[in-house]
This record gives sequence, C-alpha cells and structure tokens, in this order.
Amino acid sequence: MLETVTQAVINGLLIGGIYALVSIGVTLIFGVVKIVNFAQGEFVMIGMYITFFLATQLGMDPIVSLVVSMPVLFVIGLGVQHFLIRRVLGLNDLPQIFLTFALSLLILNVALMVLTPNYRTLHTSYSDAALHFGGFYVPVAKLIAFGVAMLLSAILWVFLHTTDLGRAMRAASQNRDVAQLMGINPHRVFAVALGIALALAGAAGSLLMPFYPAYPMVGQVFVLMAFVAVVLGTLGNVMGALVASLLMGIAESLGIQFIGADSGLIVVFLLLLITLAVKPSGLAA
Amino acid sequence: MNFSARINAVLAVLLAALIALPLAVTSNFAYDILIRILLFAFIGTSWNLLGGYAKQFSLGHAAFFGLGAYTSSLLQINYGVSPWLGMLAGGVVAMLASLPIGWLCFRLRGPYFTIATIATAQVLMLVFLKFRDFAWGAEGTTMPNLGSAPLMMQFEGKAPYYYVALGLLLLSLVVTFYISRSRTGYYLLALGEDQDAAEAVGIDVPGEKRNIFMVSAFLTAMGGTFYVQYIYFIDPNTAFNFDVSIKAALVSIVGGVGTLFGPLIGTVLLETTAALLQSWLGNQAGVQVTVYALILMAIILWRPTGIMGFAKEFLLRKKLRATP
Amino acid sequence: MRQQRRKFLKHAGQAAAAALAAPYVMRGYAADTINIGGLYPSTGSMAQIGQACVVAAKMAVEMVNNAGGVKALGGAKLNLILSDVQSDTTVTRTETDRLISGNKLTAVHGCYASALTLIASEVCERAKVPIITGSSSDQLNKGRHFTFTPFARASQFAKAQLQMSKLVGDKPKVAVVFENTAFGTSTSNGLKELAPGEGVEIVMFEPYSAGFTDAGPLINKVKASGANMLFSVSYLNDLILIVRTVKQVGLNIAINGGSGGFVIPDFYKNVGKAAEGLLGVAHWNHDVSDLAQKLNDEYKKRTGEFIFEYAGGLVAQTFMLKEAMERAKSADPVKVRDALAALDVSSGYAAMAPGGKVKFGPDGKNVYGHPVGVQWQNGDLVSVFPKEDARKPLMKS
Repeated sequence: MLETVTQAVINGLLIGGIYALVSIGVTLIFGVVKIVNFAQGEFVMIGMYITFFLATQLGMDPIVSLVVSMPVLFVIGLGVQHFLIRRVLGLNDLPQIFLTFALSLLILNVALMVLTPNYRTLHTSYSDAALHFGGFYVPVAKLIAFGVAMLLSAILWVFLHTTDLGRAMRAASQNRDVAQLMGINPHRVFAVALGIALALAGAAGSLLMPFYPAYPMVGQVFVLMAFVAVVLGTLGNVMGALVASLLMGIAESLGIQFIGADSGLIVVFLLLLITLAVKPSGLAA
Repeated sequence: MNFSARINAVLAVLLAALIALPLAVTSNFAYDILIRILLFAFIGTSWNLLGGYAKQFSLGHAAFFGLGAYTSSLLQINYGVSPWLGMLAGGVVAMLASLPIGWLCFRLRGPYFTIATIATAQVLMLVFLKFRDFAWGAEGTTMPNLGSAPLMMQFEGKAPYYYVALGLLLLSLVVTFYISRSRTGYYLLALGEDQDAAEAVGIDVPGEKRNIFMVSAFLTAMGGTFYVQYIYFIDPNTAFNFDVSIKAALVSIVGGVGTLFGPLIGTVLLETTAALLQSWLGNQAGVQVTVYALILMAIILWRPTGIMGFAKEFLLRKKLRATP
Repeated sequence: MRQQRRKFLKHAGQAAAAALAAPYVMRGYAADTINIGGLYPSTGSMAQIGQACVVAAKMAVEMVNNAGGVKALGGAKLNLILSDVQSDTTVTRTETDRLISGNKLTAVHGCYASALTLIASEVCERAKVPIITGSSSDQLNKGRHFTFTPFARASQFAKAQLQMSKLVGDKPKVAVVFENTAFGTSTSNGLKELAPGEGVEIVMFEPYSAGFTDAGPLINKVKASGANMLFSVSYLNDLILIVRTVKQVGLNIAINGGSGGFVIPDFYKNVGKAAEGLLGVAHWNHDVSDLAQKLNDEYKKRTGEFIFEYAGGLVAQTFMLKEAMERAKSADPVKVRDALAALDVSSGYAAMAPGGKVKFGPDGKNVYGHPVGVQWQNGDLVSVFPKEDARKPLMKS
C-alpha cells in the first residue's frame, strides 16, 4: 500500500513540474500585467510543435531544442505584448479577458487547420527508459522534465530577487502606480514578463515531447491545470504557483490511483472548489 | 405615427415575417442554420443577462445547458415524462445548481470568476462521464424514436423545431426587455460598472448577482433540453461542451453586451459566416472558429461595445451632425 | 428608425443565408449511379484508422464498378460520398444528417468507432436508410431495423479473449482495463459476464479516460492487482501508451490487446518488437480466405501496409450492399434494406468473413459471425484461433 502511494506520489510530482512551468507563466503575467493569459496553453502547444519539427527534420533532441523554443517564444511574448496587450491595458476587464481568450481560440484553430488534429509523437532513446530502485520506477524523460523545470524556476526566482529588472517586475506587480512614479517603464516590464512567461510555456512544451503527444488541443489540458494552480497558490505568487502545481500533480495521481483511472481531473477540480469555498485568496495569502 | 409606435409596428412586421418564414424554406440545411441561429441567440441572450448587464463573465454556462439536457432526458427515458415538462424541470435544476455554483464562483472577481465557471462546467462533464449507472456515462444515449410525437417534443420535419426555438428566443428577449427596464436592470448595470461603488450606494450586490444568475441558468437549461431533443442524442461531451459556453459569450460580445438585441445580431453574423464558410470550404476542422476568433479580436481591439454599440454610435453621430 | 434598420439587416442576413444554402438541395437518384455514404473519422484521435478506411472504401467501390457495377440495374456504378466525422460524437450526428439530407443515398457504411456508429445508426433509422457496419457494440442490434452487422459482436470478442487466455496459462488472473466509450464498455461488460463461465478470474476491472496521456498510474494498479494477464480494450493511441508503459514499468505480464488498436499496422510500427507474440481478437483478418489475401496484396501495393480488420471488413460490406441491390433490383433504400435482411451468401467478396458465410438474423446480426484470435508474428498479424480459422500455429513466448 505504502509502495503504491509512494509510486503515485513520484508520478504526480514529476508531472507537477510541468504544470509548474505553465502556471508560473500565468501567475507572472497576472501579477505584473494584471491580465489572465487564456492562451498560455497554446504557447505550450507551439513549443511542442517546434520541438517536434526540429526533432523530425533536423534530428535535434527535445532537451536541446530548448535553446530554440525558449527564445522563439520569448520573442513571441514581446510581440503579443506590443501588438495586442498594450492596446487593451487601460480598458476594463471585458476586453482583457476576451482578447487573450480570442488569441487562444485563434492559435488553436489555426493549428488545427494547418497542422491537422493528428497526434504527433516523438520517440527518443530515453522515452521509455526508467530508473528502477527498491521496487519503484522513475521514468527518465519525466525526471529530466522535472529537473529542468525546477532549474528554470530557480533561475526565475533569482532573476526576480536579484536583478534590477526582476525587482522592477515585482514592484510593478505590487503597486503599478508607485512603480511608475519611481521611474519604471511599465511597458518594458510587461513585455519582459510576457516574454518570460511564454518562454517557460515553450520550455514546458519541449520537455513534454519525449513522453506526450503533440496535437492542437493539447494546451487546453495544461492551461486548466495551470489556472487551478494559480488560484490555489494565490494570484501573482510565483512560489505559490510552483508549490500548488506540485501538489496538484500529486493529487491527480493519487486520484487516478485510488478513485479511478478516469478520475484524476475530478480530484484536481474538487481541490479548486474546496479552496474557493474555504480560502479563495489561495494558500499563500 | 410617433417614434415608438413606428418601432413597434416594424417589430411586429418583422415578427410576422419570422413566423411566416418556414413557408419559404424548403431545404433541411437552411432549416438547420435558422434553428441554430435561433437557439444560440436564445442562449446568448440568456447569458447576456449575467454576462452583459451584470458583467459577470461566465464561461461555464454549458453547465446549465447540460443540466437542462440531462434532466429532461433522464425524466423522459426513465419515467416517460414529456420533455416539455422536463424542460421546466431542467430549468429548475439549473436554477438550484446556480446557487452553490454562484456561492463558490462569486468569491472570485473578474477573470478568476471566469476560470472558476470554466472549472465548474468541466467538473460536471467529468462527473457525468464517470457515472454510468446514473446517466449512461461516456457513451450517452439517443432519444427513443417516437416518430411524430408533439407532446414528447418530437416532430417529423424541421419546421416545428424552428417554432420552438423561435418561441424560446422570444421568451428570452421579453425577459431581458422587462428586466432591463426594471429597477433590477439598473442595479445590474450599476454593479457591472463598479461593484464596490454599487455596494456602497446600498445595492444588494450578492443578492442581485444570485438572482440574475438563477434566471440566466434557468433559461440556458431550457436551451439544453431543446438541443438534445433536436439532435435526439445526448452525451457528456455534447451536453457540457465548452463550445456552448464560448458561443454564448461570443455572440453577445460581438453583437454588443448589455443590449437587448446584441446577442441575436451577433448570432446572425457568426452563424451566417459559419454557414458560408461551410459551403465554401466544407467542414474542415478549425476554419470556422478561426474566423470567429478573428472577428472577436477585431471587435475587442476596435469596437468593444460590439455591433450594437457601433450602430448606436454611428446613429448618434448622424443625429448630432443633423442637428443645426 | 435604428431598430428598423437593425432588424432589416438581421432578416436580410437570415434570408441570404437560406438562399445561399439552397444549393444544398437534394441531388436526385441519378440514372446510372448509385450513391452510398461512407462516414469515417479522417481527422481527430482516430485519424490514421479513418484514413485507412477511406482508402479501403474507395478501393471497394472501384472493385465493384470494375466488375460491372450492379447488373440488375443495367450496370449502374456505385458512387461513394464520404464524410469526415472527426472522431467526435456531435460532429457525427450533424454530418450523418447532412450526408443523408443532402444526397439521395441508398445505403451508408461506417463509422469504425462504436460510439460514433451508434449515433449514425440512429439517424439512419429515422431517415430509413440502411447502414452496414463492422462496429462491435452489442447496442447496435437493439431495436433497430436499418442496421446490419455482418461481423462479430463485442460479447463474442469477450468470449474469444477469455478462451484464448487459457492458451497461455492454466489459472489466468486477468486485469481488465478499458476505454470508457461504447467499444470499451461493451466489450468489458462481456468479459465480466462471461469470465466465471470460462473459468477465468478477473482481479481488476477499471475504465480509463479514452485518449489519456499517462498510463503510469493505471499500470501501477495492474501491478498491484497481482494479475498475470492484462486485457486492454483500447483504441490505437491508448494501446500504444499502455504497452510501452508496461515495458517501462518492467512489469512482466501477458497482454491480450483485444481488437481496436491492436490489429492496426501502426500498432506494430509504434511498439516494435514488444508486440511480438501478443494476442488479440479481430472480426476480420487478411488471411481469412484466398480472396482476402488477394485484397491484401492489392492494398499493400497501394499503401505499403497490410489491410487491417475494419478496412477489410468494409470492403466485404460494400459487396454485401451490391448483392442486396442486385436482389432488390432497385436503389431504393427501403427495398435494399429488405434485401439485406434476406441476404444469404457464401461466396465472393460479399462472404469474405471468418467462416465464409453471411446471413442476417432478425436483429441485423450475422448468424455465422464470429471473431478470430490473432497474434503478431514477425511483424505480421496472423489468425491463430479457433482451430478452423487458424492459418498459422500459435507462437509460444
């Protein structure tokens, strides 16, 4: 019994790392720009396809392709901020919500048209490999994904707390007006926030490819998990999103293990609803 | 004839035209388009009460759509209850469901309210997917083939379905009309503009939100019943489909949130576009919604008040120019 | 004034839409072509399978037409009208409707997945157009007059799987995992009901979300159940994931892949050597008869892969439709339906089925229908069970 639980926790923790990459991006954007990026999942999807085509056309390993997917998505993030987000910043909730929502619909459906709904999978040498110790097994591809995810999160944390730009972002996140008074250029800060968030999404996509299929709708699953994690971990709180993501991965895994193989998501949503009922401002508030 | 009498006359003529339209329609395909327009205009108008006037943007209305669909289907298949009654029962179930759902979701504001509503609809879908003994699970079921059975909301031929959908649309328009003219309507607009200010002025914000949520849920559920009777098939994916939630909001935004005819106009525009696309490009996945998304983005970036807002502005400018 | 303008625009729009839709008017029964409809998931999660079915459907029509078409109707040729159901239930509902109301169809075949076929068959039932299908759900034979299923039913698959489990071990302890739509639930129900009678113990019985992307927790549970055999009722993507995960977890367990995804060339392509020796069941295989082999050779020339279960079956179905039209001497759907109900063939492509005979009972089932047990041997799928249908000996691992 304990063995089963431990294995389930291991599985959940690993996938939680991916959820973390996606949710940190969402919470960063919300904290700094005060906008909910409904399209975050689609950027994960873009990252996945970039990696897929690099692997099949150039033989590039998915992990290596991070050096392509992350910068590409960073630039896309800058573009999204400059061309789209900037134009709805002064307005109320309506345009902001539906802009990123429309963006999400747009990207998803263009992908559907151009790339077709068929699943694309990659098999690397380590796709099926697993480490075995003491009756437990740890899938190698997921372990790598987890490791890189934690590394990127750590780098982000350092960036936010030690660099000027990072601190400017945190300031803008806490109080935009005061930050502006202190000379911080909001648009530059927003652009960087968007860039980083999308780069993280792209990283998630690349890390997923060895063990997850790419298809146009794939982003939807991750974005929902990400949103739940963001709410659970308190809006705008990067550390909160990280911890919440790991917890959710574990909850999902335990749910599948003990309630039913078709019940993982229900457990996660119940977590959300319970949190809403008991502490809507999130665990870190 | 003075101004408002003229408007009423025009509306009456147009209503008569709508009622007489089936005499001119022969193709099943055209009927399908018209019925979809009426149905989604109905759902959009129902959504608009909560999302347009009160500015609480729900993307989880599929929850009520699905509850309505399942209630009437369960009652019909298990107990032989007519879907006409089932429609009302579904509305009641949805209304009751909106209480705990509202209690949970209204604890969040703005976009996070939206996310919570999405999660709610998803949870319902998952629950219905899992519980096979209760409601046929993932496989769903088809409505029993009764041939022509008007009392059981089954008709041969599409014209009767057209009229039912038309009736629903008119119902929602009338409800919206009366609410928007009443004190409740003003309260909703107030809390939609600025919730804290409205509360400060003494409006019972939680109460108003709760009430309008109930009305919106009730109506949306009726649409769910109609839809599954029309396609005589139900499964969790169809009943709680995220697309329904999206469309409800989409048509209202494109047409103009918080306006009476906004959702209807939005639906006509989007569905007509979809029908045209389908006849040109076939049913290729992704094409329709791409166009919807582009239209939506265009509206948001350039005319967030939607088509109605644009029309009002345009006519206002004309009027101003005309005044000496 | 503004209301008037707006309303006018709105109604003009509606009228325009209706007018533009006018081209979708019934195309009448053309004199020397007969329309049959084909509904398959060419996109979506079942895309690879749907596309293979489309190739086979087109081939079948070619074969019928090249052999002289429907002689009783003056050599009238078959015209196949295809529709993509996008692996989605709602789309199936609207596409079937559109296909039937937009064309004068004599018959329909499709849709591979039982969940989709159930819906299509309802539409056909109400439109009084016969549908012939290889989908296995037992539900398809309940209360329908226009649905015909010439091949094995899910409950028969279940029995065969249970019998085959005893070929590899004396005391089989089986874990059953199944995808949660009509195909999975039908077959698994059959397994549950028949197991005690076949002396097989089921130690785990678990639905999983079709299209899931992580089989780790599920295989964990299989491991914990102590089963020595795994029955997986799955479509292709799920099955690939399950088999690979079993390998990854290092679980030493015999797998019976059932039908569905197991019998498709893509399965072997994705799973490789791990598929060797695995057992499954199929309602048709390319070694069922000489005609089947001939068909297979032709298909292989066009696509480079062997023709899989459903695709081969639907070629036979096309010929069954043709036979019905010959008997009925008509392209009228109701008359063709009656002719199908009275069909009794034992030669030619129309009888290309395990056992070589097709005759429909009152519930649309083929009274001679039964599945064959199949096994992957050297990259090819061969029939190994029951004895009468075995084309090669069972490979022991």
